[in-house]
Amino acid sequence: MTGIEIAEALERTPVAVAIAKSIWLFPLIETLHVLALILVVGSVAILDVRLLGLGNMHRPLNELMRSVLPWTWSSFVVAAICGTLLFSSKASTYYVNVPFRIKFLCLGLAAVNMIAFHSWSRDLPNLGPMPMRARIAGAVSLLLWLAVVGTGRWIGFTT
Amino acid sequence: MIERFCDWLANTRVSQIFSSADWFVPAVQTVHILAMSIVVTLLAMLNFRILRTKITDPEPATLAANYVPVIWISLIVLLVTGALLTVTEPARELLNKVFRVKMVLVIALIGSTAILRARLQRDPHYWINSARRRIMGKALAVTILVLCIAIVAAGRLIAYA
Repeated sequence: MTGIEIAEALERTPVAVAIAKSIWLFPLIETLHVLALILVVGSVAILDVRLLGLGNMHRPLNELMRSVLPWTWSSFVVAAICGTLLFSSKASTYYVNVPFRIKFLCLGLAAVNMIAFHSWSRDLPNLGPMPMRARIAGAVSLLLWLAVVGTGRWIGFTT
Repeated sequence: MIERFCDWLANTRVSQIFSSADWFVPAVQTVHILAMSIVVTLLAMLNFRILRTKITDPEPATLAANYVPVIWISLIVLLVTGALLTVTEPARELLNKVFRVKMVLVIALIGSTAILRARLQRDPHYWINSARRRIMGKALAVTILVLCIAIVAAGRLIAYA
């Protein structure tokens, strides 16, 4: 089965058909998706700004991570579920859409960056400025999430 | 009256330059969403702290002192990008009922946040000083959270109205 065939099969599932046919389901799920994505980006940015030394400098890193990451992960789960539902309703259209593919590439890279960061973040100092590799991780994360929002918006103008 | 204003605005040189560039609206909307991310996330963290769901976080007064100035700056970015989007597509925004509802909600959010912050500035324990104030503080926090959700929803639903 090719990618486009899987997308077409997904589009024929009862849930996907219900979303595509309903007047209010797509806007409702899209609103939840945007709300969750806003919280993901906002919470990630709070941590990234701390890593870059541009703000939140008075807060110990481990305390800030404990405060922020539950927001990031819970919102990400909601955004992913809503995103999957939205994708299913027009799967074959989104599958061939270039901004959609770039968005997914950026999401994948953001995940790799986050996993890499968490593998060595325990060695970081809790207070004061961060070492260069943490600043780079913060900058890369900010840029990737900016790209996720930008390409996400771009999808709406190309489908 | 408002229709004539929209026609006039749409025919200005600035509006035509903005609307003729395919990249302009998506780019400005992206900045608008990023500013919205900062406002909503910081307000969510501050108000959930007031609701005492995250008692390990710093005191509400400390969070407000750090977050509210950033929220005001982000609101200015939202205002500027929102104005640019309105100039680009006046009829889509100004003739849209959902857009008008959104503007009323934004004013209510600014007012609620200003009240919350002003009281905390005067007395860091203002919202926990008495049982009555605790209830009022929680009611205000819930109001702000509901307003945030409603503003994001209205922003998205403008496209469908």
